[in-house]
Amino acid sequence: MNSRKYNKTYFIVGALFLGIIVLSFILSLFGVGGDPETTSSATKLLAPSSSHIMGTDNLGRDLFARVLSASKYTLFISITGVLVSLTLGTIIGILAGYYGGWIDRVLMLLSNTIMCFPGILLALVAVAVWGPSLFNVIWALGIVFSPSFARVYRTEVIKVKNKEYILNAKILGVSSLRIMAIHIFPNVFTQIIPAVVIGLANMTLFESAMSYLGLGVQPPKASYGKILADAQSYIRVAPWLVIFPAIMLVIYILGLYFISEGIRGDQ
Amino acid sequence: MHTFETFTNNILEIKDLSLNFKGNNPDTLILNHLSFSIREGEILGLIGNSGCGKSMTALSITGLLKSDAQIKSGSIIFNNQDLLKLNDKEKRAIRGKEIGMIFQEPYTALDPLMNIYHNLEEVLIEHETLSKTERHDLIVKMLDRVGFTNSEEILNRFPHELSGGQRQRVLIAGAALLKPKLLIADEPTSSLDTVTSCSIMKLIKSLCDELNMSVLFISHDLSTVGNFCDRVLVMRTGEIVDSGSSFDILFNPKDAYTADLLTKSKFDPKVLNLTFNTPDKDAEPVIKVSNLCAGYMDRKGFKRVYKNILEDISFNMLPGEVVGLIGSSGCGKTTLTRALSGLINPKSGTISTPAGRLAVVFQDPGTCLNPSYSVYWHLAEAIRAAKINMTKEELKAKATDTLVSVGLEPMHLDRYPSQLSGGQRQRVAIAMCLMLNPAIIIADEPLSSLDTTSGARILSILSSINREFNTSILLISHNLRIVKATTSRVLVMNEGKIVESGNTQDVLTNPQSDTTKELLDAEITLHKNFSTDRLAIE
Repeated sequence: MNSRKYNKTYFIVGALFLGIIVLSFILSLFGVGGDPETTSSATKLLAPSSSHIMGTDNLGRDLFARVLSASKYTLFISITGVLVSLTLGTIIGILAGYYGGWIDRVLMLLSNTIMCFPGILLALVAVAVWGPSLFNVIWALGIVFSPSFARVYRTEVIKVKNKEYILNAKILGVSSLRIMAIHIFPNVFTQIIPAVVIGLANMTLFESAMSYLGLGVQPPKASYGKILADAQSYIRVAPWLVIFPAIMLVIYILGLYFISEGIRGDQ
Repeated sequence: MHTFETFTNNILEIKDLSLNFKGNNPDTLILNHLSFSIREGEILGLIGNSGCGKSMTALSITGLLKSDAQIKSGSIIFNNQDLLKLNDKEKRAIRGKEIGMIFQEPYTALDPLMNIYHNLEEVLIEHETLSKTERHDLIVKMLDRVGFTNSEEILNRFPHELSGGQRQRVLIAGAALLKPKLLIADEPTSSLDTVTSCSIMKLIKSLCDELNMSVLFISHDLSTVGNFCDRVLVMRTGEIVDSGSSFDILFNPKDAYTADLLTKSKFDPKVLNLTFNTPDKDAEPVIKVSNLCAGYMDRKGFKRVYKNILEDISFNMLPGEVVGLIGSSGCGKTTLTRALSGLINPKSGTISTPAGRLAVVFQDPGTCLNPSYSVYWHLAEAIRAAKINMTKEELKAKATDTLVSVGLEPMHLDRYPSQLSGGQRQRVAIAMCLMLNPAIIIADEPLSSLDTTSGARILSILSSINREFNTSILLISHNLRIVKATTSRVLVMNEGKIVESGNTQDVLTNPQSDTTKELLDAEITLHKNFSTDRLAIE
């Protein structure tokens, strides 16, 4: 009983943290804090004050407005990226785990090949070939991340597929597709939740790295990672440029972590 | 008169022990003011159905209770000290050295990444200061003692390379290494077949005499325990309802509950209302198996080799006939079930089921139902899988009827497997089979994981299905009492072959093959005083 309360606390704290990010996303939709893209030479690198609560950057843009609008891109890229890789990973992992044999070998060879390369390199090549755009970043990251989900699914499916309820379903004549989708999937899905959370966090970090190299979110748009990357040269004169987006990034990733702990504890 | 009067000192004394889980209703105690004692050198049996609190008693003694269990009152005196008042370090010093424990599932009790030597060495490193050679010698000696003839070889094996019975022997050797004063055995034979169970029981008894060790033997099977224990306690909902010498308990039970358990574990056909249809000898068989050979792909190093399990199996079953299939673990019973139900393809030979559908009830009530779905979904899924068109109302009505016919209530339709007991889950699995009106039900050890009361209930349900729908049943079991009580014809399997078959009465009274004789011997040793009248042997 005690442990359940503990996990509930985790869940609530996580939800509060994520709530902050979602709130900043909603505020940015209403244009709170002004236009994040208006530059002004009169307000370069101002420290936080009552008129600019998070200060301004090297082009005189209001950091508060930029942080709010960055939440939009960070949330969008990480969530859709994970959805793409989760969908691919689910299909590959369940097929490989369920059928085994040559299907398993071919599918796993494919995902192992992807895993052999440093993920960021693959994503960079993909974006360099197809051109830097938001959707190309999402596709590239989605494909790069899918093998890690496929592996988790494959292991879980192998554990479940010889349980007696699955044998019984086969004896009753349920089709293989239905066994995978209806009988196996709900029993393995909960195991993937921690991997999803780590995926969201990693996706955010990868996206930051790519933005830093100029292949992610294109200026003047910005994600947390992009703001951090841009602020690197001003870290000594204007530390607020690093502190505020970094705090938001930490809140986002911690929120995800706490929620996954909360969910896992309740099983 | 009673043998136990010769024991003098109590080695363990439990006084007024009450236990509950945090957050549970404070009035329903898991252990309700429990008091008993174990005398020096005696084997004490603790009998009860699932959930009666017998495992909780064992865990309280060893101090391995989970953090949400709370001791409300009482004391456990061992060696003049109260075990409940010790700190973790003191408890650890006693556990293993003074009190040993063996568990039901020998596979999960050994570390799969360590070989047998290292598994056994752990306990010596923890409690004794011995040199490496002394440890080695002690372990080999103990492995010899528990009946291994190739102890040196066993040391280098890993747990997965041993059979269930061998693993249980290794665990007993581990528990006996430090010569504890008390050994707690929590259902050590429930997952083993009759022949292996019998040898394990004999081993425990002889070790007990040799080392002057006391044993707390926990089981749900009154009949098995009776012959091995000096005294027996019967437990129900956290209380001891009956106690006495095993002779008294087996022959003059004072309590109505004990008497009920006793009757049920006899599987008396009259008491359980186990009457079956008499099959029509001239009818067309519902299943014809001829010259069946089957096996599976196995890995040998890096090579994949075909391992043949079933050799030249042939038999028929008539409509409404109940046939038993007996044999020790590893004889190929499970592979036969899989071949018959089409899960594996036969290498050669044919299986034909002209009369239609075949359904299987599996052994493990823990995994027979999909944990993500309700009971109603399971029953409806059977209909969907068979592509039978039914309206929602028809489906609901059929599901309710079927559930009632296996002795469950309509309210159970919305329950999830985790909310049902093992016996109830097994009954839902039977209901799933019934939804399709199968011609044959294959029941693969359906009772072996259940306690006596739930097991007896399953047998009654199977017999009523046979009477009502004229369904043929192939009952696979290693328990001769069950086969004797239910079947008219029996097949005996050994090493993938059918070594004997015929009328159940004939086969069990006048066995021809060594396999049958061995099974019968084990049965007689386990249940002498008890089932002689049933099996008409000895």
